[in-house]
Amino acid sequence: MINMRSAKKLFIPVRIILVIAMLGLMGPHGGASAAIISTESAVQADQARSDIRKVLERAEIRDALMKQGLDAAEATQRVDSLTDAEAVRLANEIEKLPAGGNALVVAVVAATIVFLILLFTDIAGYTDIFPFVKK
Amino acid sequence: MFRLFRAAVICLTIGLFYGCASFDGARLPPSDSLKVPPHNEIGNIPFFPQTDYQCGPAVLAMGLAWSGVRTTPDTVAPEVFTPSLKGSLQSAMVGAGRRNARVAYPISGMTALIKELAAGHPVIVLQNLGLSWAPVWHYSLAVGYDLHDRIIILHSGKTARKQLSLDVFRRTWARSDYWGLLILPPDMMPATAQEDVYIAAVIGLERARRWNEALAAYVTALNTWPSSYAAHLGMGNCYYALGDLNGAETVYRGMVFRFPEKGAAYNNLAQVLAEQHKYPEALAAIRSAIRIDGAFADEYRKTLDEIKAKMKTGDY
Repeated sequence: MINMRSAKKLFIPVRIILVIAMLGLMGPHGGASAAIISTESAVQADQARSDIRKVLERAEIRDALMKQGLDAAEATQRVDSLTDAEAVRLANEIEKLPAGGNALVVAVVAATIVFLILLFTDIAGYTDIFPFVKK
Repeated sequence: MFRLFRAAVICLTIGLFYGCASFDGARLPPSDSLKVPPHNEIGNIPFFPQTDYQCGPAVLAMGLAWSGVRTTPDTVAPEVFTPSLKGSLQSAMVGAGRRNARVAYPISGMTALIKELAAGHPVIVLQNLGLSWAPVWHYSLAVGYDLHDRIIILHSGKTARKQLSLDVFRRTWARSDYWGLLILPPDMMPATAQEDVYIAAVIGLERARRWNEALAAYVTALNTWPSSYAAHLGMGNCYYALGDLNGAETVYRGMVFRFPEKGAAYNNLAQVLAEQHKYPEALAAIRSAIRIDGAFADEYRKTLDEIKAKMKTGDY
């Protein structure tokens, strides 16, 4: 069985190829070739972030979305419909995604406690979970 | 009891906010200072009841349908839903709006929400119906309000026109840091529009390669902010992306008169001139850009080199 670390290493060359391929596909937004200066780069105050770094970040988000079960084409489209600023925000957010995989017993106990608390806060008008609580 | 809880968890989205951020501007000022009618409800918004966990697709489909896109929750689900998360990320809602040729404009706070509803624009809102440490994330579509009765009207879950007290709504919305989203056709301006936010939203349309709609949205921007440099440049760039070199040239020519201190317009003008084999003019334009200098100086020099190379190969 391959452990996570060696699996990650295996993917490095794949990643590099992906990044190069994406650079080629970037077109007017990439800045890899001269030509037209995009609206986006023209309004960006912070010019310090290099285009390579932005492309890398997009490749990382794409990988992360694929790990969440999206196919490559859909993951690419989702990343491509975001501005650089939005892509950076998403990259930061994806890192915080919960890992999941809690034990069932813990989940049932927690759910019971949470139910009672939410019932109370619903009655107090702080939350809006249960349709049977009149608000 | 567990089943009951499950049933109550209408729709779980992975909210990415931990705890509520600032409340500034969140509370409504007295209704007369808002300058909105005391109540308004937007009619003619189709209602799609959601299925399990599918509040994102249902709400987005309603917003899109209101804006004139013929769609259904099942059609948009593959563009927003992430099965492993049993939910829809906010960025996917934004992106899917653009992929359906609509301007996805973010708003935040109760005042902006009421103003948009008063202007007849429904607002997608992300609520945490639970608590910050026991989140139940849920998307709804706000469709109306009544300031006198202090209620908000939502298309939410399986309920059309759900009436909820403004206070309860505000608490559930605050937990997403008041995350709201407008889905607008490109000829419609948000009531609370800010220039930089609107331009960023249109750049998103460019990102999604919806050049025709981005072009229309830049025109809308110029109606509101006639001197917007970004909207002018965006217009030119959309024409260019659409292969309309004449259209692009006209816009860039206007820009170098209007914004003579901006090198990017000269650079892009030089590029479209060169592509039309108008080399002497292209050279003059790119030299102006290089004289201006600035953040894109390297790009200007690259453009100059490319023009020279093209001239050498005799590509006339």
